[in-house]
Amino acid sequence: MILHVVNQAPDAGRTLEQVLSAMADDDCLLLIEDGVVGAMPTLAALFTALEGRRYVLREDLESRGLLGRQPEGFAIVDIDGFVNLTEEAAKTVSWY
Amino acid sequence: MRYAILVLAAPYSHQASHSALRFAHAVLARGHQLDSVFFYHDGVCNAARLAAPPQDEPQLLDGWMNLSAEHDVALQVCIAAALRRGLMDEREAARHGKSGHSVEPPFELVGLGQLVDLGLGCDRLITFGT
Repeated sequence: MILHVVNQAPDAGRTLEQVLSAMADDDCLLLIEDGVVGAMPTLAALFTALEGRRYVLREDLESRGLLGRQPEGFAIVDIDGFVNLTEEAAKTVSWY
Repeated sequence: MRYAILVLAAPYSHQASHSALRFAHAVLARGHQLDSVFFYHDGVCNAARLAAPPQDEPQLLDGWMNLSAEHDVALQVCIAAALRRGLMDEREAARHGKSGHSVEPPFELVGLGQLVDLGLGCDRLITFGT
């Protein structure tokens, strides 16, 4: 399993689109920094194939006033959860 | 596990350095070993010893130095990326005929081979980019 970490907002380019097309069936996605904007209800359709494999970083949601606005299906993890995901994943790929 | 962190972004321009420092502390808090933080591309600007941000802002330079002092984490800076941005230690300053130096321990100027070694030797290498 590879952990894909995205720090770009969905409107900042094609990063998110490229990540989603590159992910294998057992890979996980973690949104951090401006990437947490991807975890908004209006964009939920983008991630339906990632049920149970999509995460978003609590601290970055909170600093942007977005905590609590996530659609169902996004697991909110804190920085310890981030480390835990990197432990579980054989490799971590950062997209920026 | 043995971890290493790669920082590619300049401090105060992007969130990457803040994220990396917070991640570093979380790695250590979970009982892992953090071998090194490697600064490359604009990330080398984290090593500027004369950085003096306003007192009410996060003190990234102090944060990295404390991380190194308290947890014996190496702070490695790509020498080629550093020199072209005016970042050099006393030895490089003398070699290039410059009157001052802008990098000092615990930051150390190293070659890219050190990054390759981290990738080979550590269990996890986590990148924070722009």
